[in-house]
Amino acid sequence: MVLGTYKQITLGRSTDKQIQGISQDGGIVTALLTFALDEKIIDGAVVAGPSDEMWKPNPVVALSSDEVMAAAGTKYTISPNNWVLKQAVRQYGLEKVGIVTIPCQTMGIRKMQSYPFGVRFLADKIALDIGICCTENFPFESLKTFISAKAGVDFDLVEKMDIGKGKFWIKTQDDLISFPIKETHGYEQNGCKVCLDLVSELSDISTGSIGAPDNWSAIQVRTDIGETVFKQAVDAGAIELKPIDEGKFGLEMLTKLAKSKKEKAMKVIDERKAMGLPVPYKGSSEKEDPLANV
Amino acid sequence: MSEKIVISPTSRQEGHAELVMDVDDEGIVTKGRYFSITPVRGLEKIVTGKVPETAPVIVQRICGVCPIPHTLASVEAIDDSLGIEIPKAARQLRELTLAAHVVNSHAIHHFLIATDFVPENLMATAINSVSEIRKTVQYVVDMVAGEGIHPSDVRIGGMASNISELARKRLYARTKALIPKIDAHVDLIVGLVADKDLPAGLGVTHAPTLATDHTYGDRTNFDLDRFTEIMPETWYDDPEVGKRACSTIPLYDGRNVEVGPRARAAVFGSYTGEGVVAQHVARAMEMKTNISKIVDLLAELDTSAPVMADYDITGTNKLGIGAIEGPRGMDVHMAQIADGKTQFYSCLVPTTWNIPTMGPATEGFHHDFGPHVIRAYDPCLSCATHVIVVDDEDKSVLKNEMVRI
Repeated sequence: MVLGTYKQITLGRSTDKQIQGISQDGGIVTALLTFALDEKIIDGAVVAGPSDEMWKPNPVVALSSDEVMAAAGTKYTISPNNWVLKQAVRQYGLEKVGIVTIPCQTMGIRKMQSYPFGVRFLADKIALDIGICCTENFPFESLKTFISAKAGVDFDLVEKMDIGKGKFWIKTQDDLISFPIKETHGYEQNGCKVCLDLVSELSDISTGSIGAPDNWSAIQVRTDIGETVFKQAVDAGAIELKPIDEGKFGLEMLTKLAKSKKEKAMKVIDERKAMGLPVPYKGSSEKEDPLANV
Repeated sequence: MSEKIVISPTSRQEGHAELVMDVDDEGIVTKGRYFSITPVRGLEKIVTGKVPETAPVIVQRICGVCPIPHTLASVEAIDDSLGIEIPKAARQLRELTLAAHVVNSHAIHHFLIATDFVPENLMATAINSVSEIRKTVQYVVDMVAGEGIHPSDVRIGGMASNISELARKRLYARTKALIPKIDAHVDLIVGLVADKDLPAGLGVTHAPTLATDHTYGDRTNFDLDRFTEIMPETWYDDPEVGKRACSTIPLYDGRNVEVGPRARAAVFGSYTGEGVVAQHVARAMEMKTNISKIVDLLAELDTSAPVMADYDITGTNKLGIGAIEGPRGMDVHMAQIADGKTQFYSCLVPTTWNIPTMGPATEGFHHDFGPHVIRAYDPCLSCATHVIVVDDEDKSVLKNEMVRI
């Protein structure tokens, strides 16, 4: 199962016009976190907030829906969210923390909960983990380089970035520039080359644009906690749903991309293993399902 | 006909120590000697020559029972050496951390003495009460100092960060709700200690009491000129004991002293009780004082105030003193910083002061009461050990190279 275990897969989008205006696709992460905060399911959330530098996210502890909104939209570079978890439960005094994570961070969270070394009284306070789809992530300098050098766009003029339809899109006030996603290879983090997870398989709820039409998100509801929160948000009208297209541009595409990420990564893992390099995954001969995220 | 009773190691305390008592025909102790047999830590040597920031991080590992007083004493000593005046809010956060730790540590001691005083039918009540108190006060340390055991946010120059307003309100509500529970707990323990009917005068030594402050600690009340330190061979009249004892004997005005809750109550609260029962009562009462202090500090704390001072790490080789009133007594650290490195470091820890006083405190009563007397001091020996066994064959401690000033 290349999409991990899930209880429900659907398309959805935020019903809030304001969220729709500022968020990446369907605004699911923002909608869920603001809902959970307002309903006191969580008392704060760790999100990739703005920093002094444009497009460089800074992990922040958001205590209100306004602060969550300020962090809406995807930033295509690393935001070390897990790093501020301790701050969230210590200095901020949170007891039910929500967090947004990309797949590698989700794995970190689950590992932290299984083996809470150095995270005393922290792991049990993570109440909701919303995972986002991730094909790869770029160090900030990489992102700057390929936007200014490859796409020839002044970095300061970028209004929005997006990945979709096999392309990396850069929107400025006047232009919409794109180049094939393949051309970004080589700029990504080294760790992304061995990552077997596209859809945050271990999160409570995962979401992303792959397999969804414009302004909608594909959502996988995975855990009991995720199901409870998601159901409440839908019942309260914060999120509207429509069934996912099973075909070529829907579930099929999501499955295909998840599978190809795994296959590519397994190749690199096996190569690195053959060279005797340390890789935090099993080689394809060491596991039953060669594409399993272990 | 004199007989020798040896308890080794003494139980329900931190670290290893031995109690050697000479008893007469009735079993009455005529001479008591208590000494540490815990292996040396040597942390003062480890931090010497390194950057000052290393010291609080390393010395807090001196022991898992009171890492917080050691961290605070360390940063206070370095602050003093570097001439740093910490912001008001930082001082409040440090005081909060220590007060919460004292309540926690005293609660642990009540757990250790439970089998001495608590009857079977009240055991569950007493232990639950200890657990509940600890949970709340450790939560305070967690949030204010970053970590409950080895506080990461207590820094030279202040604190790493202030707490959020949400955390302040949450802590205020929880600690305020804890007050009636602590009152009930203290009544329970004080009542049970009284019920035990220990003989009057048990543990009374008339040794002078030494304390620098009622709660937090005040370096101006510790006079280094009045302090001397001698080797165990000179102190203990039994050469066998003197050879094996692992702690030096600190003296104030040339005399052995008592530190700890009773000493604080005597110096700053005109408390006149002496001996085992008085020590237990004073310790329990400190839980009340400290929880009120926590609530008051949380009410006053400005969460938007700065908590870190600007300072220059170079140093002038001034001997800095940090005096912290830890749960078991006065903990003094001394540090000299010059050229951005720690040139000299020394810890004068609570139980070291008490060790020479604890042995004689057993005298005049049946040796069965010996362990009661020792436990009333809540000894914690890991940090008290400053000399090293040089001969493994006969376990002798010949030379002290660790804390010479």
